[in-house]
Amino acid sequence: MWNTAIWKKTWGDQRVLVLSLAALWTGFPFLYIWLSAQIPMPAFQDVLLRAIPKDWQRLSGVPFTEVATHAGRVALAFVDPVVVLAATVWGITRGSDAVSGQLERGTLEMVLAAPVRRLAVFVTQALATTAAAAVLCAVLFASVCAAIAFGPWAGKVDAVRFLPAVANVFGLMVCMAGISAGVSAVDSYRWRTIGILCGFYVFSILAKLVGRLSRPLSWVGYLSVLNAYEPQRLVGDAAESWRLLAAYDAVLIGLGLVAYAVGAVLFVKRDLPAPL
Amino acid sequence: MIVRTTQLTKRYGGFTALDGCSLTVPEGEIFGLLGPNGAGKTTLLRLLLGYITPTAGTASVAGFDCVRESLEVRARTAYLPGEARLFRRMNGHRVLDFFAGLRPGCRRDVAAAVARRLDLDCSRQVARMSTGMRQKLALAVVLATETSLVILDEPTANLDPTARAEVLELVCEARAAGRTVIFSSHVLSEVEDTCDNVAIVRAGRVVHEQSLEHLRRCHRIHARLHGPLPAIPPALADSVTIAAQQAGGVVLEAGDSLAPLLGWLSTLPLEEVRIEPVGLAAIYDRFHRPG
Repeated sequence: MWNTAIWKKTWGDQRVLVLSLAALWTGFPFLYIWLSAQIPMPAFQDVLLRAIPKDWQRLSGVPFTEVATHAGRVALAFVDPVVVLAATVWGITRGSDAVSGQLERGTLEMVLAAPVRRLAVFVTQALATTAAAAVLCAVLFASVCAAIAFGPWAGKVDAVRFLPAVANVFGLMVCMAGISAGVSAVDSYRWRTIGILCGFYVFSILAKLVGRLSRPLSWVGYLSVLNAYEPQRLVGDAAESWRLLAAYDAVLIGLGLVAYAVGAVLFVKRDLPAPL
Repeated sequence: MIVRTTQLTKRYGGFTALDGCSLTVPEGEIFGLLGPNGAGKTTLLRLLLGYITPTAGTASVAGFDCVRESLEVRARTAYLPGEARLFRRMNGHRVLDFFAGLRPGCRRDVAAAVARRLDLDCSRQVARMSTGMRQKLALAVVLATETSLVILDEPTANLDPTARAEVLELVCEARAAGRTVIFSSHVLSEVEDTCDNVAIVRAGRVVHEQSLEHLRRCHRIHARLHGPLPAIPPALADSVTIAAQQAGGVVLEAGDSLAPLLGWLSTLPLEEVRIEPVGLAAIYDRFHRPG
């Protein structure tokens, strides 16, 4: 179930992506909070509470009165495309590389010529990917803390409140990486795996929007994995936030683990085509 | 026998890649696999390694079943794929480090020595290596692995003549060290020079097995006839056959030592006699050249 050489190689493979995302997530909270602070709170509240129709509140997932606070505004950073897309791209990139990426490059051939179980290759890569996701989320949390502590809203927000939101980002990364690895395990072309996952992601966004905006079709929202990605709802009351996080991450991480498990079984049993 | 396959078959839908292949490879020899592209050689090798599962039949390496005990099989086998692809971002040294860490029995110092023998610059990044250099790097990994069976799928493809000769020498050294080598190739001269036995594969079937030692004793006698060809004496019936006879010419094939034939040949009405070894090409052509 474990192979040290594969562990090291996977870290080598993901090094550039980890460093890039770490740099992005280090700088982003500083920039986001600085830009947000350029709009004074009264003006922001005025726009949000008076100018935007109340019905649109359904889109945000939380009441506008909660958004119109310092904590609420920082929380919006977690639903900003810079965070959501980066987490998704991470999952799809790493997950798709698990099998179909290596099959396409032809590098799996010599690895599996060694007396290494396919399961060990798959599981070790999954663990390295998950560990890197945890490192990236730690970087994001540290950066949010630092941006609050040294930014324009110093003393106005308690940074610890954002820990559940960061944990929700981690859940999304595990979920997307797991589903991507599951698809990758039965595919032979990485571009096709990525295409399938992009389609899945777009469907998830649309299903969530439909579920939010249409009351008769609210059930459609449950078809979206993003329904369990609500970091902006996890910055209120601490006990309630952790309770919600447990439910959200149970769905996200649970889906990711199930996809990993199914992928592992299929990878172990499948025929591996010769590299083209 | 280190490798034994029984009625090994692999089908992909309606296409049969390997059809009832029964083969045995004795320990400590170089065994050649010959056949054109798509004949089923690589399918056979991939079945042995457990990359694919057979539709029917069984295969074993050193007594271990290739499906149920694939890990044991691979622990005893070093495999060079037909087109060895390595990690493009690593340099040669790191590739050798990786495989030395990945598999027990792969000796880093031996791999480096093989790379040196093949005149390979391991400091270069794989992405910047030519196809031949990548092949040399993969060969260094495979030949440095201490296993009882070495499977080489077209090991000399893409190599320059010097490296090609060096690889053949390394293959012979592996045999001398008691290892068994399965050697798949299109280059008949290489197979003829190095192998002890060959199997010729055609359209997924093993159509012929040939001992090279026996083949080296076989000769063809081409001559012009200026009279009727008498019947072959009963004492020589087992060792000579008439391969062709037409328009005043005859081709005799001697299946063993020439010495007993020479006396009889001198009594025949022959002119312009030419004796040459049969050669693997002639055997191969019997199965792969139409007509």
